[in-house]
Amino acid sequence: MDMSSINLTLKIWRQANSDALGGLETYNLDGIHTDMSFLEMLDVLNEKLTKEGKDPVAFDHDCREGICGMCGAVVNGVAHGPEKETTLCQLHMRHFKSGDTLVIEPFRSRAFPVRKDLLVDRSALDRIIQAGGYVSVNTGGAPDANGLPIASQQAELAMDAAACIGCGACVASCPNGAAMLFTSAKISQLALLPQGQVERKQRALAMVAQMDVEGFGNCTNARECEAVCPKGISIRNIARLNREYLKAVLSEG
Amino acid sequence: MWFVRFLTSSIGKKLVMASSGLLLFLFLCTHAAGNATIFMSSKVFQSYADELHSHPLIVLVFSLSLLAIFLVHIGVGLYLFNENRAVSTSRYAVSTRVVKNSLASQTMPYTGLFILLFLVVHIFGFTFSPKTVPISVTVKELLGNFFYALFYILAFAALFLHLSHGFWSMLQTFGVNHPRYNEFIARLTLVFPLFFFAIFAGIAFYFMTGLGANY
Repeated sequence: MDMSSINLTLKIWRQANSDALGGLETYNLDGIHTDMSFLEMLDVLNEKLTKEGKDPVAFDHDCREGICGMCGAVVNGVAHGPEKETTLCQLHMRHFKSGDTLVIEPFRSRAFPVRKDLLVDRSALDRIIQAGGYVSVNTGGAPDANGLPIASQQAELAMDAAACIGCGACVASCPNGAAMLFTSAKISQLALLPQGQVERKQRALAMVAQMDVEGFGNCTNARECEAVCPKGISIRNIARLNREYLKAVLSEG
Repeated sequence: MWFVRFLTSSIGKKLVMASSGLLLFLFLCTHAAGNATIFMSSKVFQSYADELHSHPLIVLVFSLSLLAIFLVHIGVGLYLFNENRAVSTSRYAVSTRVVKNSLASQTMPYTGLFILLFLVVHIFGFTFSPKTVPISVTVKELLGNFFYALFYILAFAALFLHLSHGFWSMLQTFGVNHPRYNEFIARLTLVFPLFFFAIFAGIAFYFMTGLGANY
């Protein structure tokens, strides 16, 4: 197997804590195997920094197989880097050339305070879910699987929306730092299924209200979110959210 | 109150922009249709204008409604521009737009403001022109001036750019997005702005070059 390696110049956002002033720092990293993932490349850098007695770069990660939504950074201005529908952990170094300079910055939004380096607090997204991104089932045993007929088309569309891993790349790439793609996916996955009907209107109102409270920006239909979404969530969901919200605000209560 | 909650929400404000945008689009359709009569002859155009202004009540109601719609579209637009600027300035050391052809969406506030400047010039030039001079004569005089007509053509180019994002964006905000129609909507988003550009800029060009001077 050909294990070619590349040399990189990294410019990484370093920030000690939420209150500290951050800045870009430059690191030279040689001999990076092209079969490594982006996070493994950062691991190599961190090992090097640790051995030198320096503070390693803090970044979020968990499953490293593209399904948990923990990782993410902005690489040369693009959330999750240059590959389409790929999380940062699944981005491989073979997509870069030797001698490349990579500017690595945290996912930024007014609602995403930087905790340390590339690590941002995305709990604002959790609070949007808590506001209404659920169905209340208060009693009874597990219902019969075939008791509730769902058209295949509806199930597929709901699954497309449910593919959202909540990484926040949509927010990071939006020129206004809006969380519309995230919120629309979470509302769509329930609005499309019969289980979600009872709280449908209440959910749309509560989740949009929470989204606004958290300080996310306004959607201007710039489409950057769907272009960087690692799960290919379509802005068709945003159109659905707009419909859901309008219906709810006109007729709820 | 639900109405206040609606108007202060992010989606509510977008819907106000889209609704006022739709009404302005419909106004452009009627304005283009009326103005296009000038290509037949100045006489036909003058009789259209005379007929229109022989119903002062209709003109008054429509003018005031139009003013209100414009004020809403401009007011909410500027408010959103300001809100969005607060969250979007200098976020990243390197920022890359992934979406191709995003010029129109990036420049919406600026094309909008340029159209506003045009509106002021246009209203003072034509709406408040001396009543003793027939409007068809005013058109020939003003648009016969090279720089005046050039400014008009530039403004219609800005309108083209504004609508080439605005028309699609309006439908998306209304929730119209379906794979079956998206291709069609994308075409309309080019056809409608082109149509307005052809008619409005066409009139300016017609008199700028002197082609329409004798008709």
